[in-house]
This record gives sequence, structure tokens and C-alpha cells, in this order.
Amino acid sequence: MANSYDLIIIGGGPAGLSAAIYGGRAKLKTLVINKGTIGGLVDTTREIVNYPGYIQVSGPDLMKDFKEHAEHFNVEFLKEEVISVDFSQEDKIIKTKKGKELSAKAVILACGSEPRILNIPGEKTLRGSGVAYCATCDAEFFEGEDVVVVGSGDQAVEEGMYITKFARKVTVIVLHDEGVLDCNKVSAERAFNNEKMEFIWNSTIEAVLGEENVEGVKIKNLKTGGSSVLTCQGVFFFVGMIPSTHFLKDSGLETDKRGYIPVNEGMETNLEGIYAVGDNRVKYLRQVVSAAGDGATAAVAAERYIEELNYFNSNIVQSDKKILLLFFNVLVNESIEFSTLLEGLISENGDEYKIFKVDMATKKNLAGKYQIEKVPAVVVLDKGEEIKRLDCSMDKEQLKSQLS
Amino acid sequence: MSLQQLNSTGFEEIIYDNCEPCLVIFSKKECHVCKEVVPMLEELKPQYDEKFGFYYVDVEEDKELFQRFSLKGVPQILFFNNGEYQGKVAGKVEEESVEEKIAEVLGV
Ligand SMILES: Cc1cc2nc3c(=O)[nH]c(=O)nc-3n(C[C@H](O)[C@H](O)[C@H](O)COP(=O)(O)OP(=O)(O)OC[C@H]3O[C@@H](n4cnc5c(N)ncnc54)[C@H](O)[C@@H]3O)c2cc1C
Repeated sequence: MANSYDLIIIGGGPAGLSAAIYGGRAKLKTLVINKGTIGGLVDTTREIVNYPGYIQVSGPDLMKDFKEHAEHFNVEFLKEEVISVDFSQEDKIIKTKKGKELSAKAVILACGSEPRILNIPGEKTLRGSGVAYCATCDAEFFEGEDVVVVGSGDQAVEEGMYITKFARKVTVIVLHDEGVLDCNKVSAERAFNNEKMEFIWNSTIEAVLGEENVEGVKIKNLKTGGSSVLTCQGVFFFVGMIPSTHFLKDSGLETDKRGYIPVNEGMETNLEGIYAVGDNRVKYLRQVVSAAGDGATAAVAAERYIEELNYFNSNIVQSDKKILLLFFNVLVNESIEFSTLLEGLISENGDEYKIFKVDMATKKNLAGKYQIEKVPAVVVLDKGEEIKRLDCSMDKEQLKSQLS
Repeated sequence: MSLQQLNSTGFEEIIYDNCEPCLVIFSKKECHVCKEVVPMLEELKPQYDEKFGFYYVDVEEDKELFQRFSLKGVPQILFFNNGEYQGKVAGKVEEESVEEKIAEVLGV
């Protein structure tokens, strides 16, 4: 099938591209689905100075190298937005906005994050008319004008300084007490020494004012509770990011309150065959280098998972013997004892059956597929089709009679 | 299908002399949102063959044009009909809102 893959990666930022490089190299049929420009957030970054091996490189250039590297290993790319998924079956289904349906044995989620919208009056209606989110894109439109920056993290302060190359004045609205910024120390010092940068402390923005274009902002002082109006022609919002995981809402995938996906060391989510990497997972450091590391880990975990799956499927479907799928759990003593009994019986009596043991702790998908809730349990398959289930009796004769 | 790029002269001709119903996207190279919106328009264009024009202005090459419309950011899609400005949509717009706006301009 043209639309079926071993591995589908949703998101083409550094995390997704790194996973693609490892997936392609492992000879998995790999597809990257990315809605925007390849490179994700990094494509919007003018300068990266902390990616190992590159003393200084522009974001788009670095991502071009990542993409070429993935293409070198025959990874395919699709420019589309994923709008829904069905992860409930062994074949994971992915649907795009343009109505394409694709399937994969394993899926890596590398959707990154997007700017948080404050939803204050004027923010939406004046977007593109003075309200902006990207300094590289829009700073030059404010030549000689007054600009307000909302936020005080790395991005806010660094982008604010970039805007001073064009604007007459940049006023940063900061939640905290005088002198306290959320950004790194080097940037803070540079910003304090920049003559065009001004700061309004203990404050937040309540509304963007203006009819056709931005004419000012309404600022609220958090200490006094008083409001004031500041005239300006532009407002740049840098108030943090939210993970782009909303389209996964009804998929059964676990996320935290803010939408970030928790994973284990192998980047595995709560769903078998589904992995999460980069900025959209719960993590300590959100950078290109850590995104790349995540991608590599997940692709290797996915490769092993697919290998197991293939082994399992080919052993069941191509077996000329009937298969006894034996579900067990090491924590349930009864299931271990039963398993010993059944194995003994089969080795004594013949050729008709083969046992395939399924650990409930790791093979959640299979347990789900056959709706196994209690162990021990045995499903009898013939050429992959279920023909019956055994009553897991500890009575050897009783058990033997079910198998004749 | 790629969009025809307009400079100031081309802009005058198409918008004010020919009075064509059309849209013009103001865009620039170093802008990731533009890189999402422009291909969307390129895909949409064939559906409106003959009926509605799709054009492109690079604001870095033609500063005068974006100053004339006092634009504050890219991308922005401006709509024209009968030589008159009919409004704009800004930022990361969806295909549907462009289609709606075209229908509105064409009065269908
Ligand atoms: C201003 C700024 C400066 C930074 N500077 C640095 C720096 O100097 N060094 C550094 O190491 N890090 C830096 N970072 C952080 C770095 O950019 C991120 O950690 C990194 O981009 C995360 O990569 P990612 O692949 O997880 O996600 P992203 O880069 O966000 O990529 C995610 C991709 O997924 C796509 N996507 C999302 N949802 C869907 C969907 N439903 N369907 C299809 N595609 C979808 C998006 O369009 C995007 O292309 C900076 C970040 C910012 C904002």
C-alpha cells in the first residue's frame, strides 16, 4: 500500500528530522509529515551558537543540513497538517487536513510548540496591523516607531533588542519587580545597556488599542492595580509557548495539564508504538541538541518495537501449527504456574500446537486486541485467526481435553 | 502554480488599469509564516483560473508598495476589485478564510 509506512513522524523540526535520520538509516520505510517549513522553530531562529560542531550557524542553514541528511537515507516528506489520529489498533491511522489517510506501525510525535495567545482585546483583530509574534518577520515595519514587547524571557529580551535596530524605542512590559527579568544574565545585561530599551515593571498588558492599526496598549500595574495607556505603533507578544498537541486530544494519549506528553527513557508514551520527542514532551531542557537526542532514542525504540511486531506477525500468520497465545504477568503467580503446566503439556504431546508467550506488562497492544484483562489467559489461533479460548484450568487432564 | 510577482508598475497596471478582481500577497523571504501561506495560495490559484487573479509582492524589493498601504507585518493578503481596495487578511490564515473573502469580493 502506497500510504502505509513502518514509521511516520509528525513534525519536521530538529526532533522529527533526527528521528527520520535514524529511522531511514535503519531501513524503515519512513515518512515525515510537517505542516510548515521544514526545521520548525529553528527555521525562525537567526542564529544558533550552541549546537555542537557549529560555532555559529543560522537556523535555516542548520535545518537544511538536517533535512538533506534525512533525504540521504531515503526518508519521504509530506507537507500537510495532521488533524486526527487513531492509535487504538496495531496499524496506527493518521488523517490530514486535505483528507489523506496514512498508516504506520509506529508513530513519533515531534510537533513542538507554538506561541501562546493571551486572548486580550485587540490581540486578534489587530494581528498584522501592529500585533506581531516574529521579530525576524516584522521588525522592519516599525522603522522609527515605538514598539512594546510583552514578556521577559530569553525570546522576549533577545527579540526586543533585535527590534531596536529598526524601532525608535522598545518598551518591555515585565511582570516582576524592578531589575528582575526571566532571561539569561548576558542578555539581561545587554538589554539594560541598550539605550533604546525601556522597561515597565510589575505590569501586564490588558488590551491592545486602535481601530485600523495599533495606536497603543493598556497597561495594568499589578502592585497598585491602576491602569495606564502607552502610545505605540507595534506590540510583539513573547509570552511563552504551548505544545502543539491539541489534535491528539481524543486519541487516548496521556498528556499533562498543559498538554505536554510524558514519556519514559525510551521516549515511549502510554500507548504502545507511539513515541514523543522534542519540545512537545515533558522535559528539562528544550533546545536543538536535546531535541536531536530525543529523536535518535525514539527511532531506535520504534525500530525494536517494529522488529518485534514483524517477528510476532510472521510467526503467527505463517505458522503451520496452531498457536497458543499465552498471556502472563510475572507479578501474578498463578499465571506463571499455569504457563509451566501448559508448556509441559505441549512438549509432551505433540506437534499440533506452538506456544507464544505474551508478557502483559510490555505487550499492552496485544492484550488490548484480544481484550485480555485477567491472566492467565490463552487464545488459540489458526493462521492468525482466533478459533477458541482455553479455560485455564490447573488440572492437567482437563486442560489436555481442551486441546484434543 | 507559482504566483506572478508584481513590482510597482505591474501593480498599477493590474489593479488600477485592468481593474481585475484579485488578491496580492505581501511577503518576504525570511518569514516562516509566509512560507506556509504562499504555497497555500499557489495551490488554490488553479481553482480560480481566469476568474480571480493571484499576485505576489516582495516587500523587501518593493518597499514603496507596502508603505503605500501602511502595512505592519507580513504576510498580508490584500483584495482588490474594480480598482478598489476591498480589505485584507493578515498572518497565518487558513485556506477557508481566503476562499470566503474571494467569494465576498466576487459577490457570489
Ligand atoms: C526565538 C527562539 C530562539 C531559540 N534559540 C535556540 C538556540 O539558540 N539554540 C537551541 O538549541 N535552541 C533554541 N531554541 C529552541 C529550539 O528552537 C527548540 O527547542 C526546537 O526547535 C525544538 O524542536 P522540535 O523538533 O521539538 O519542535 P519544533 O522546532 O517546534 O518543530 C515542530 C514542527 O512540527 C510541525 N507540526 C506541529 N503540529 C503539526 C501537525 N499537527 N501536523 C503536521 N506538522 C505539525 C510544526 O509546523 C513544526 O515544523 C529557540 C527557540 C526560540 C523560540
